[in-house]
Amino acid sequence: MLEYVWLIPLLPLFASFVILFATKEDPHSPMPFVGIAVMGWCLIQSIAIFSGVVSGAHHLPYEANWNWFSFATDIGGRPFAYSMPVGVLIDGPASIMLVVVTLVSLLVQIYSVGYMHGDPRYKRYFAYLSFFTASMLGLIVSSNLLVTFACWELVGVSSYLLIGFWFEKPGPAYASKKAFMTTKLGDTGLYLALLLIFAKVGSFQITQVQNFVTMGYLADWAALAIGLGILCGAMGKSAQWPLFIWLPDAMEGPTPVSALIHAATMVAAGIYLVAKTYFIYAASPLAMETVAWIGLITALLAASMAVVAYDIKRVLAFSTVSQLGFMLCALGVGGYTAGLFHLTTHAYFKALLFMGAGSVIHAVHSNDMRLMGGLSKKMPITFITVFIGTYAIAGLWPAAGFYSKDLILEKVYEHSPLMFWLLLFAALLTAFYMFRMVFLTFLGRERDAEKHHHADESPAVMTVPLIILAVLSIVSGFALEYKHLIQHLADYKLPESFAAHANHPNPFLIKWGVMGLVLGSIGLSWRLYGGQDQRLAESIKERLLVLFNILENRYGFDTLFLWMVKLADRLAAFAHWFDSAILDQIFIDGWGLITRIFAEISHLFDAIFIDRTVDGFGGLSNDVGVGLRWFVRDGLVQEYLLWAAVAVSFFMIFAFWL
Amino acid sequence: MTLAHYLIIGAALFLIGLFGALTRRNVIGILMSIELMFNAANINLAAFNRFLHPEGVAGQAVALFIITIAAAEVVVGLALVLAIVRNTDTLYVEEFNLLKG
Repeated sequence: MLEYVWLIPLLPLFASFVILFATKEDPHSPMPFVGIAVMGWCLIQSIAIFSGVVSGAHHLPYEANWNWFSFATDIGGRPFAYSMPVGVLIDGPASIMLVVVTLVSLLVQIYSVGYMHGDPRYKRYFAYLSFFTASMLGLIVSSNLLVTFACWELVGVSSYLLIGFWFEKPGPAYASKKAFMTTKLGDTGLYLALLLIFAKVGSFQITQVQNFVTMGYLADWAALAIGLGILCGAMGKSAQWPLFIWLPDAMEGPTPVSALIHAATMVAAGIYLVAKTYFIYAASPLAMETVAWIGLITALLAASMAVVAYDIKRVLAFSTVSQLGFMLCALGVGGYTAGLFHLTTHAYFKALLFMGAGSVIHAVHSNDMRLMGGLSKKMPITFITVFIGTYAIAGLWPAAGFYSKDLILEKVYEHSPLMFWLLLFAALLTAFYMFRMVFLTFLGRERDAEKHHHADESPAVMTVPLIILAVLSIVSGFALEYKHLIQHLADYKLPESFAAHANHPNPFLIKWGVMGLVLGSIGLSWRLYGGQDQRLAESIKERLLVLFNILENRYGFDTLFLWMVKLADRLAAFAHWFDSAILDQIFIDGWGLITRIFAEISHLFDAIFIDRTVDGFGGLSNDVGVGLRWFVRDGLVQEYLLWAAVAVSFFMIFAFWL
Repeated sequence: MTLAHYLIIGAALFLIGLFGALTRRNVIGILMSIELMFNAANINLAAFNRFLHPEGVAGQAVALFIITIAAAEVVVGLALVLAIVRNTDTLYVEEFNLLKG
């Protein structure tokens, strides 16, 4: 099965073209089933590969390359020939990610059949979904960083298309633009990092770069620069501070797309890339530390912002940003396994939560949790599955989040107790706001009687994916933890220097102590939002209004970015003025004026001297001709003959004598 | 008999022809003088052939060509003379000055 792994990204790509170009647009087109069938096959293939990896049938890492193109050039006078391979590289994390991405994408597509039912651009939506998944799968399996980067950009393009899917509304159009440009800002760093890699290593092949780095040939500063550049890309794609501003706005897209973006395809790419190029971070402790702190700051900021959000999808978006911060922090402190473990489990429960939120939105036609409440009786399946997702993300035993988050916290404690306490606070906030969302949406009073009255459980095509994901949210944790499977699949041996000053926590205390605190946090959430009346929550909000405003304005990061854009705008206006007023008018136009003056002088010289000389010669010839006519104008043949004879004689004498 | 003898004969013949062409009043006389100049050239060709490249016949062949062409030229020349006589009733060239500009 492993030798056909290249089919996994190519089939969905092919499917997306088939869907897009084979039929006309039709709200009831059967084309989505092409995408679903292809994704189903990819899932089967991924599971086959994964089970082969788990059972030890496949020897990892598996790499296969084909020649893409070759070139030869001169670098600093030395000839340089390079042939660029394109190929697949499957290691443990890739085999897990393949299953995660294909599974989530398949469920999202099935769910979308119900959710997008009757949309005028139904067919195009599914083509985009397939394309999105294909790009992400390409990114996962590629053995070549350049191809990875190309897929990375294709992921960006697809997310742009899908976030702005309802582009006729100003909100999605703006959000897609914002997402694209913000991630592009990060991609610039990634691109520079790739250029530096090629300049230093002379290859884009991950295995070659890895060998080069682990042998210690890469200079420290280069490792740091490359690490920070890749982190920049991950900051954009995985919505880390300070480039996280696009993700909450990306909620304008269709909800299943949000599920796909948040769980499997888009934001996972950044974390996965950092994991894929982990050897570079292993070579630069400073880059590692930066990764950890960026992740930590993001986890804290996003979690605090989620506490005050009233838009159900926005709560989930902030929660994703926060969880991605957890993963990045784990990678940064050396918890390679922990980060990838959380990436996997998070994919399941976050996809579940988004699809559950989509189901709610589908029922009440609103995102505002203040208009919901008491929906648990109307939508029991959605309620139970979302509750399971929340249970998992809060990190309660025995759901998936418990294992992965526990592993992260242990690793962070080993690295630095300060970071542990900060991250623990973020984890408690997570439990608090996630249960707040559940309480506000499904429990308590019906705040909008009319919406409540019309609400109804979603069709089976939407609830079945929810149930599947709910099961996975429970079992994926201990399934991967069983016999330390995840450590076998995704492990990275860091150099000794990283483990030198490790603190050794009490694993039992961390596991159950954290769970106790989380339960307390949930209790607080219940006290504030769980009951029929929420006067206590309101009064706290009034007392801490300033804090709430800061949080609701997202710490002013959007304003800051807007201000920076305006500044750049001013700068551009100044540059334009400088260009047109100084450069154009003085230098370019002045140079033109000088040229014109010289041209005038040249023209006068030409007219006076050159032309008159030429005219003078012409006139002279004319005058000579006219003068000669006086002598030889009698028209007698013999006279002409005489002149000819004289001339010939003259020339002959001339020729002989000289 | 050396080459010089033949060349002197050719030059004399050419100058006689030139003199005749420049001084004769009669058109037919001028034509005959031109024929003399042709033959001066022929003598030169034959003489050079004989003394410089006796093994070949190139000069004599060219001379034969010239004789042929001279015959053709005489045909054209006599036709012109006939046309002149018919149009102007004279054979004297000084009375025939159509080229006067």
